[in-house]
Amino acid sequence: MALWSEEKPSEDFYRVLAPDGSLVGEPPDLDDDELRALYWTLKQTRQYEERALRLQRSGEVSIISRSRGEEATPLGAAAALEPDDWCFPLYRQIPGLFYWGARMDRALAGLMGLEPETIDEHLPVEEGEEPAVNFSPVYVPLGANLPNTVGSALADKLNDRDTVSLTFVGDGSTSEGDFHEALNFAGVFDVPAVFVCQNNQWAISVPAHRQTASETFAQKGDAYGIPNERVDGNDVFAVYEKCKEAVDRARAGEGPTFVECVTYRIVEHNTADEPSVYRDEEQREYWLERDPVDRFEAYLLNEGVVDEADIEGIEAEIEELVDAAVSSARTVPDSAPEEMFSNHLRGESWNERHQRAELRRELDGENPFTDWTGEGFQ
Amino acid sequence: MSDASTVADDGATTERNLVETINRTLAAEMRNDDSVRLMGYDIGPIGGVYRTTDGLLDEFGEERVIDTPLSENGILGTAVGMAMRGERVVPEIQFMGFFYPAFGQFMYTLVKTHERSGGNIDVPLTVRMVCGGGVKASEYHSESTETYLVHTPGVRVVYPSGPAEAKGLLAASIRHDDPVVFMEHKKLYRTHREPVPEEAYTLPLDEARIAREGEDVTVLTWGAMVRHAETAADRVDADVEIVDLRVLSPLDVETVLESVKKTGRCVVFHEARRTLGLGAELAALVNEYAFDRLHAPIRRATGYDVHFPGNVIEEEYLPDPDRAQYAIEAVMDYEF
Repeated sequence: MALWSEEKPSEDFYRVLAPDGSLVGEPPDLDDDELRALYWTLKQTRQYEERALRLQRSGEVSIISRSRGEEATPLGAAAALEPDDWCFPLYRQIPGLFYWGARMDRALAGLMGLEPETIDEHLPVEEGEEPAVNFSPVYVPLGANLPNTVGSALADKLNDRDTVSLTFVGDGSTSEGDFHEALNFAGVFDVPAVFVCQNNQWAISVPAHRQTASETFAQKGDAYGIPNERVDGNDVFAVYEKCKEAVDRARAGEGPTFVECVTYRIVEHNTADEPSVYRDEEQREYWLERDPVDRFEAYLLNEGVVDEADIEGIEAEIEELVDAAVSSARTVPDSAPEEMFSNHLRGESWNERHQRAELRRELDGENPFTDWTGEGFQ
Repeated sequence: MSDASTVADDGATTERNLVETINRTLAAEMRNDDSVRLMGYDIGPIGGVYRTTDGLLDEFGEERVIDTPLSENGILGTAVGMAMRGERVVPEIQFMGFFYPAFGQFMYTLVKTHERSGGNIDVPLTVRMVCGGGVKASEYHSESTETYLVHTPGVRVVYPSGPAEAKGLLAASIRHDDPVVFMEHKKLYRTHREPVPEEAYTLPLDEARIAREGEDVTVLTWGAMVRHAETAADRVDADVEIVDLRVLSPLDVETVLESVKKTGRCVVFHEARRTLGLGAELAALVNEYAFDRLHAPIRRATGYDVHFPGNVIEEEYLPDPDRAQYAIEAVMDYEF
């Protein structure tokens, strides 16, 4: 069986924490509470995704794409935002949502396949409990988020608001036309946007070197007149620091930035994928030694921000919260079939009314095809 | 259903063509609402290749009339992002034949964001789509592929047949919170003037219009074909009812069925290609819900299933009053 040859990316990038957790650069200006918040989110994501994986294996969740091993990139990027900013995530950025208080029970209900209206009805976000950063729905078609992010940032710029729009792109989706179009528009209109490239080196089974002949992804920013950075994506300090600089620049009216975060997809693309078919799994060992959670934990232990007892306490506390989230998600009843018609167009057209009636009849065991006048289901 | 008499107030009217009407309506909506912004290439200093945005840059400035890079998908994707943040954006697609690169943003975000957000995010934009043939503009500048749009849920497709209709439909589209594609047939831009009420008004975005009442045969049509149908109706020895659909999605099925049930005969007349054109859907609806009222099979008089031809033979491709007349006469002459 032929496997792809893997090319290790250059590690000539911005790094603050070495893989062993020792400082090799200047740490960002974060107090102990902020450091613990970052650590908490990393641990929360790990434990949440482990549970979601178990739920997938037991059939309660149909499919998930884990961020395991890449958590520092979406976390560090989202943590650089301020309240009222906007974030346009893909499906592998859950740490960014959790950092700002997105609820695990609602996320699980989404993985369980419930309609958004059903989740809003049964697990409503109470007034004042919304995440302080605005999150768009998670995008699945890769690249489609990018032009929308530019539009969001342009709206802020044209209205003289100082909010920032931040989004993510994988190594694979830099090959989409949307990527080129979005960065081009962002550069031309000089919008307050930050593009974070979560380069995990694999687009399902296709490696990064099949996506581009460029030496780095960061340098793509040059073509659009967009300042760019390249950082160790498994170092939450490096990601945070460079994204914070980018967010500050955007907020100050100095335009967009493109930040490439070099990481590695140590797990499957999603639960329908089997990486051993196409890549040498020994590569994982190399990247497991650069794990973002272990690295940050080692740093916090060295610095005395947490101790082993704290970590045990945090893990136990998160486990209880995950248990509660699973229980909460399980209380949501299946979406009513008619919910599929919700929120398409305002008002009810003849076709919508008629097709709703057909569906209802089918569900009731009646023949839905007995109307020969168009007036039978009024 | 509403007829033309609901359009006009008793105020003054002025003879205008479609270009002037679009231009004045855009200006009025921009004065009315600061969040209305135009986007597209060539809409600024040049005022649009058909001059529909002439003078708007001078009046509203470059933050309201935004000339963009040459990228339809970039225009639509950026416009969707702006609309998600509350701007009432009016992007222009200069020619429908160049719309297809934007199909990604159309399918992934324009029509789906409201639904995917559980109704929490609106996308209140109006895409102005310049379409249609008959001005010797050649293949990529003459397309009528509205069927691609109508097949997709989550977007209104509005198609005025003349200036007075266009004024009310465009104002309503811009003010509506649903995403809208507003079709502008370029043959209508300058070939025809009619009285347009000076007063502001809107028209409903889910109602067809009875353009001509009749008892013998219904012609279902829209856009530039409406006037051809009227010419044909004047020629034939039958009392023709013409339904101008005006809004192709969502379809005003009640008005269609009511008319065909009354007349018992139906012609669908459209410029677009035939196979899976909107005529196929209309014929299917009539067949399903008015079959036993029909005195003849439904006939589709349309463009042919070919790529839009070159200048020399485009008139032979395009449906015209003759083609409408043949179809009407054929269904009138049919006997079971």
